[in-house]
Amino acid sequence: MRTKTAILFPAFITEYTQKEIETLSRNKIDFNKYIQQASETLGIDLPAFSYNSAEYRNDELLAQVIAYLFSCAGFDLIKKNRVNIDFGAGYSMGIYSGLYAANSICLTDGIKIIYKAFELVSELSCTGEYAMAGIIGLTIDDINGIIKNKNFEIEIINVNSEHSLVIAGKKADVLRMIDFAKIEGALAVTALNVKTPYHSEYLKTFANRFSDFVNTLDIKDTEFPIISTFDQRLISTSAEIRKELVYNLTEKINWYKTMQTLIKNDVSLFYECGAGKDLSKIARFIDGDFKVIQMHAI
Amino acid sequence: MAQITDKTRAEVREVVYEFFAEECETAIENIHDETNIISDLDGDSLMFLELIEIFKKKYNLNIELKTIGKFAVKNPVKTIGELIHMQMLIIEHENNIINM
Repeated sequence: MRTKTAILFPAFITEYTQKEIETLSRNKIDFNKYIQQASETLGIDLPAFSYNSAEYRNDELLAQVIAYLFSCAGFDLIKKNRVNIDFGAGYSMGIYSGLYAANSICLTDGIKIIYKAFELVSELSCTGEYAMAGIIGLTIDDINGIIKNKNFEIEIINVNSEHSLVIAGKKADVLRMIDFAKIEGALAVTALNVKTPYHSEYLKTFANRFSDFVNTLDIKDTEFPIISTFDQRLISTSAEIRKELVYNLTEKINWYKTMQTLIKNDVSLFYECGAGKDLSKIARFIDGDFKVIQMHAI
Repeated sequence: MAQITDKTRAEVREVVYEFFAEECETAIENIHDETNIISDLDGDSLMFLELIEIFKKKYNLNIELKTIGKFAVKNPVKTIGELIHMQMLIIEHENNIINM
């Protein structure tokens, strides 16, 4: 039986391997051209990329754009190497590069989607301050117990594994949660470098307007199925993708179940298609007989 | 409460050194008991969690992660040597580590 292969697309880059540019250059992929296309699409002159760039790390829009561009370039590298792909999955906003890879959207439409989503969710800043955090070492029940007891306006918006969860909500409550989680025995709690409570209840209000925008785009059926991180269904039609783009922004996701679904579908080889190695790290806590290859190892 | 033997000590040391060498893509010769996990090896909390899971399976330990977390808050670990010491305590005391 042929080994099934899935490509995974990260959303943000917490840390570069610092081998990304060299890997792309070695394979004759000019990353500057991707930045140039993004600049032209956004109508702004994006700064040149460097691993230490504060702009690409701290600006929420640019952080998403650079992660998307690295994933698209990473996929072009995979394509050059003639890898057979059976499935794709994008972690949160990683869905956009997943759709680029599946030849469902073009590179510039991915940029437009990122920008539109960012423009919409930025309206939340008028209603208060929001934050997200990653919690390692506590279970869903532990965290929900704290939320209920303390009446926090936050929710678990993603499950990476049994003991690795992501929360989002009102900033003051997220910060208080960080303290309580440590007291309750979390091994690590990290505030994420974002001001938007992605995938939380607060984003539901943007669903219709985002859907209207998505319906203006030229979206094709995918060349390989994408697994929904929202409900883990297999998606391949243009109509389903349009729905999924909205779910992916406004609903909770579950990366753990998404990976389990891929493994149940006989995937034993994953490519982490993008900068850094965040998804490879998360995968260590998911049971199964599989291997994850990072971009620089291709 | 498990008895810590010289064999266990040697095994734990070997597992920890090999784990960080592989995860941090460095030679074992570059790692010492005084090596700082974060600043020297660029290590992270997921690695700590993974190591706990490795020892949990290897020695069939009855431990809750949050118990380890509570202990770690009071007894923070910075170096490889300190981490090995904590892993020994976990193996020896399991969930009772919190009463130490």
